[in-house]
Amino acid sequence: MEEKKQCKGCGGALPFVIGFVAALIAGWVLFPDLMYSKKTQPVRFSHKIHQEQGLECAGCHTFRDDGSFAGIPTNEKCAECHSDVQGSDPAEKVYVEQYAKTGKEVPWLIYQYQPDNVIFSHKAHETLECTSCHPDMAKNDTPPVFYQNRLSGYSKQTMKMWKCERCHAENGVSNACHACHK
Amino acid sequence: MGLDRRGFVKFVVGGVAGTLFTPVIWQGLDDAATWSQNWGWIPRLNKGEVKATSALSKLCPTGCAVKVKTVGGLPFAAVGNTENPMSKGGVCPVCAAGAQLMYSPARVKSPMKKVGEGKYEPIKWEDAEAMLVEKLTPLKGQDGKIAAISGDETGSANEVLSAMLAGLGSGGGFHVMPGEMFTATKGVKLMGGNGQPGFDIEGADLVLMIGADALDSWGPTVANQKAFGATRPTGADATAQFIYAGPVLNNTASVCDKFLAVPPTATTAFSLALANQLISAGAVCPASDFGDYKALAAKFTPEEFEKATGLKSEVLKDLVAKIKAAKAPLVIAGASFGQGAGALDFVAGASLNVLLGRVGQKGGMTLLSAAPKAIASAADRENAKDAASFLAQVATGKATPAVLLVYEANPAYALPQAGDMAKAMGNIGFKVSFSTYMDETAAMADLILPAPHPYERFDDAMNPYGVAKPTYLAGKPVIAKPVMDVKDPVDVMLAAAGKLGLSLGFETYADVIKAKAKALGADFDALAAGGIWNGELKGGALSLGAGALAKAAPVKLDGKTVALAPVSKLAYGTDNLATPPANLLVVRDSELLGKDLLVQMNAATAKTLGVTEGNKIKLTAGDGEVKALVHVNEGVAAGTVAMLMGFGRSAWDQFTKGKGDNVYKILTVSDEAGTGLKVWAGSTVTVAKI
Repeated sequence: MEEKKQCKGCGGALPFVIGFVAALIAGWVLFPDLMYSKKTQPVRFSHKIHQEQGLECAGCHTFRDDGSFAGIPTNEKCAECHSDVQGSDPAEKVYVEQYAKTGKEVPWLIYQYQPDNVIFSHKAHETLECTSCHPDMAKNDTPPVFYQNRLSGYSKQTMKMWKCERCHAENGVSNACHACHK
Repeated sequence: MGLDRRGFVKFVVGGVAGTLFTPVIWQGLDDAATWSQNWGWIPRLNKGEVKATSALSKLCPTGCAVKVKTVGGLPFAAVGNTENPMSKGGVCPVCAAGAQLMYSPARVKSPMKKVGEGKYEPIKWEDAEAMLVEKLTPLKGQDGKIAAISGDETGSANEVLSAMLAGLGSGGGFHVMPGEMFTATKGVKLMGGNGQPGFDIEGADLVLMIGADALDSWGPTVANQKAFGATRPTGADATAQFIYAGPVLNNTASVCDKFLAVPPTATTAFSLALANQLISAGAVCPASDFGDYKALAAKFTPEEFEKATGLKSEVLKDLVAKIKAAKAPLVIAGASFGQGAGALDFVAGASLNVLLGRVGQKGGMTLLSAAPKAIASAADRENAKDAASFLAQVATGKATPAVLLVYEANPAYALPQAGDMAKAMGNIGFKVSFSTYMDETAAMADLILPAPHPYERFDDAMNPYGVAKPTYLAGKPVIAKPVMDVKDPVDVMLAAAGKLGLSLGFETYADVIKAKAKALGADFDALAAGGIWNGELKGGALSLGAGALAKAAPVKLDGKTVALAPVSKLAYGTDNLATPPANLLVVRDSELLGKDLLVQMNAATAKTLGVTEGNKIKLTAGDGEVKALVHVNEGVAAGTVAMLMGFGRSAWDQFTKGKGDNVYKILTVSDEAGTGLKVWAGSTVTVAKI
């Protein structure tokens, strides 16, 4: 009985420390990988190639007449050039055959998708550089992997509210609810 | 070295403590909160470009020129089209709910065939179209075996339907749902004229509406309302007077300068008594039958007027003074609920325009000649036969169609003696309903072929009833792909005709409409972009209709019988459309309380009938019966009970089904003396307390 009460091998803080460290490793190393699934865009779109053709960002990512931001272009815009296959890139062939010719819009995965209860105006943020919030895609040849949160369904890159609030606070912009939630 | 229980507990506690220093719990909680925004039942916004596209919304009988607001290509609202000279930016309460109605749960989602009493199963379009052709094939060339009922007053679809029936050997089988356009056009013939009557409200400085609910549910209501509004400039005096003489203080009467409570049974008497007073005050007319008319009108003395209407004769004197003082008076006669009036009621009202020399004048009554047809073999619109008479013949075995095609109509609900009409329809072997919604007629059809919503189709409107000059509107789909598995009924019929070896010269409804526009000299693209085509008036003279009016027979009421005045409010829907869900919010407790409809009458009528406020009563006429609660309202004419139309639906959706009762059940049909037309505007009912 005495021996059982004073187990030498399991005494002290060692099991606690092992458990603590194991949790830290699992939480910081394994958990992020488990929490996100990896997805690739339906079409390997190369911003690099389009930039090399002399296209400006605003040529496709336009503001509409009413000031709203068109975001990712639709078939209507893409098919201006790609109604038929122009080059030898297999990705272009995928786009033309599966989307441009069928009239089906490409189900692009949106890295910065915001829920319906957030009204984000690109026009109001027009003075900022795009890369203040978005990754610099100009040199990108293959779209980055889309990490989708298995629970929430949102992208890993989706901007959280605290980031919006911090920037607003730093720049003296209102953080009232109605600034973003109409 | 082993791990005992205490060591294990320490390990777990360490693990838990370590976890608190990782993102697992905190991010998990945050993600869970975000996840809760994504539950499947939470509606999602359709994101994309917001556009406003011109459309012709034929949810109301006239059709509104609207701008449909879309986001990412899907409609979310309808607003008036400010560029359209007819609606001038206005929109009726039904068409305003157009976007909501496009997603209505009452929509027929795909073709369906009947597999048992009240049971349907979805089928493919090719099977449905094959079934239609199979049923029509053996009837080709057999006169009277194929019949059609159309609920569209203005569309070129009627040309296709009537031409198809003619081509298949059932030329007499085309019928239309009742509407004043048809009785008024017959009335014009009785006055020796030709054409569809129009009314230039915009140019008049006194508008006397006898029955016609022109600012709510009669004619081009939005254009009428705009004309009314233009005479009421802000901060200035009104430039025109509006007077309503009808059975109920309805929405029109409530904004008019004067309301005269005239029972629905006394419309002709009111008009002729007014004519008598006008003639006494010096009115003369060059019409050849003026002498006969004067003699006829003289019988409608002030005493007779008081007896027929329950009004004091002083109101006539006041009215005559107002008319004589006006430079451009206009009289519009019609049933207070837009149908069922006889041609003589129309003639009596229209004769006042002739008497006052107001036919063909600015601000007067006009005559619109027949528009050119897109299909030469189509039936002439002015010769259309009415569906009520047809179904009465079916009931008695005088008509024996084997197939009935119902296009945008709801005869099982919206015909007088609705119960009998539905029974008569049951006698027809195979019924096909081309309907956007699961209405009462679709619910008894053998084959339901879903029609597109107005935003999903080509359509047109030629001379909606009441417009002052020849008018044509056309529209094309707003959205790229219908939200339900629908096909345009006209396309289906053209294809079926083709398979039966009949070519009408067109393959699609769009082609028919473009041909119609071309025949008129109109530009279809400009029309589809929200424009309007207006033709020239060709004039034409009218007599006073004295010969026809001499045959008018007064309605007699006994102590137990009262006149029934159905009340039509456009916001509460139409014959073809149950109340839009959004509009149910404006139905008052004095109109519908819970599931009980309220019948309105003035205190004197209530006293005569021995009922008081809140009593439950039964109204009976013919084989029909309606139960309702009493509501005393001094805005109802003497000896009259008023009931809202548009309720008592047995199909549709959870928003409208089973609320109130259907007043059509107690509207009784009779033959109009002298014309033989079926009329029910002066129906009477017996009231009993229950």
